[in-house]
Amino acid sequence: MRSWWWIFFCLLTGTMICSPALFAQKTQTQGEKASAEAKAEAVPAGGHLSHDLSGVWMQYDDGTAPGFARMNGVDDRTRPPLTPWGQEQYDKARPLMGPRAVGGQEDSAALHCDPSGPPQLLILPNPWEIVQIPGRTFMFFEEYHIWRTIWTDGRPLPKDTDPTWLGYSVGHWEGDTFIVDTVGFNDKVWADLSGNPRSEQAHLIEKYRRLNHDTLEQQIIIDDPKSYTREWVSPPKLHKLEPGWEIAEWFCAPSDWQEYDKDVRKPSGKTGGEPTLPAQ
Amino acid sequence: MKLALTVMALLASGCLLASDGFAQASPPIDKPSAGAKNQENAQGLSHDLSGVWMQYRDGDVPGTPGMNGVNEHFRPPLTPWGEDQFKNAHALQGNAAIAGKEDNSALRCEPSGPPQVLILPNPWEIVQIPGRVLMFFEEQHIWREIWTDGRPLPKDPDPSWLGYSVGHWEGDTFIVETAGFNDKEWVDLYGNPRTSTTRLIEKYRRLNHDTLEQQIIIEDPRVYTKPWVSPPKLHKLEPGWELAEWFCVLDENNDYDKVVRKPAGIAPDSK
Repeated sequence: MRSWWWIFFCLLTGTMICSPALFAQKTQTQGEKASAEAKAEAVPAGGHLSHDLSGVWMQYDDGTAPGFARMNGVDDRTRPPLTPWGQEQYDKARPLMGPRAVGGQEDSAALHCDPSGPPQLLILPNPWEIVQIPGRTFMFFEEYHIWRTIWTDGRPLPKDTDPTWLGYSVGHWEGDTFIVDTVGFNDKVWADLSGNPRSEQAHLIEKYRRLNHDTLEQQIIIDDPKSYTREWVSPPKLHKLEPGWEIAEWFCAPSDWQEYDKDVRKPSGKTGGEPTLPAQ
Repeated sequence: MKLALTVMALLASGCLLASDGFAQASPPIDKPSAGAKNQENAQGLSHDLSGVWMQYRDGDVPGTPGMNGVNEHFRPPLTPWGEDQFKNAHALQGNAAIAGKEDNSALRCEPSGPPQVLILPNPWEIVQIPGRVLMFFEEQHIWREIWTDGRPLPKDPDPSWLGYSVGHWEGDTFIVETAGFNDKEWVDLYGNPRTSTTRLIEKYRRLNHDTLEQQIIIEDPRVYTKPWVSPPKLHKLEPGWELAEWFCVLDENNDYDKVVRKPAGIAPDSK
């Protein structure tokens, strides 16, 4: 099931070069009981969870949104009502996932090998790594070989920054929780694969907490008054430490993608409006 | 995007003199002082290479200022196969380049890798962590890992854009060896080939606090009749700089190509 899903996802994203994602997985032993175990092992009362988040992480398959296995870091079911502008963007989108997806007709910035960015980058089931150095936390994503910097040297968010794919991120600790604030996004990538918008006004808040040595809890909060009528607070999502893994090289190369799109993805597409992914 | 377009324009026009615009927070680079070449510390140079670096503009290839980390003047004769590849490339730089007709994988937003990503005059950063040296390039937001945990190069790596890199110290010099490249990118902007049999050796030495010496050596018996040893190239520490976000975006690039780069070129029949 799992490897099938991976292949399907690779097919869907239209990238032959997805294959490195397969080989980064040496040990696939994620358990369905993750959540319960993680909570059982959590640091005892009065203890202090680690401020060290470093390592290669992989999200657990299980999730709170059954229709979106593993991609529920941004959870569609908790999405607040859209603003009129947000609704317009949403209606225009030809999503890659969900009931509105039409096989062979999906659109997504990633299908053009456009760069990706958070939160979309955070929700796809690919290995990612955290490296902490003084003043900065790096995140490395196998997906598209993207890296991002989170400044932890106490600087404030810039007041007026140029819109970018990754935005500008600063982070700080509040007790056991590492809080990342990001602003300065462009509006060229969706917040998820369902076509929910990310506008230039989006303020992304990520909360990370290491529940135990092997388990990282991630919560994604989107504050984007241009798109949503209130804050979109998704439930926390768990990630598993994968000590044996290394991030493989996976670039989206337009030449590979164009060939693949022409030869495989579009010919295989359904045009009858059926969902691209099977219901779970 | 502004930067990307600027740089594409400069790439296309073959002039990179002004391309270090975006991340720059300090005055234009001066020529390195002669003192930079003297060892500051007789007891050994630093094994700490971390910081944002920017190459000096000066070089011994006047037509290509700032891009002589891989130096065409020192290229050994090509093998017949290499010659064939070279002739079929539509160079972006050099005598064979035709304005408006240049090709280079980076112009199509294909990923970039070493050594090409090392030679362009854009800011780059080194971060050292246990077991690894990380290099970040402003150009196309590329990062690469150099394993320093003692592992050998893999015997049969899958071809990739960045290759697989391991590094070790020999005295004051950090030596990086890379194998496992794909053949989809040139080593430079002239169309000199990089193939799956290319082996890249980089040597880094911190001459003083502000100056990093980088030497690039390319071995590929399929293409070059002997190792291509370029002279060392100097890079300057830029403590106030931070790498900006620069992604290559296909749509923007295509628009630019259509509206600016090709019209600016020489008419097709001039070839």
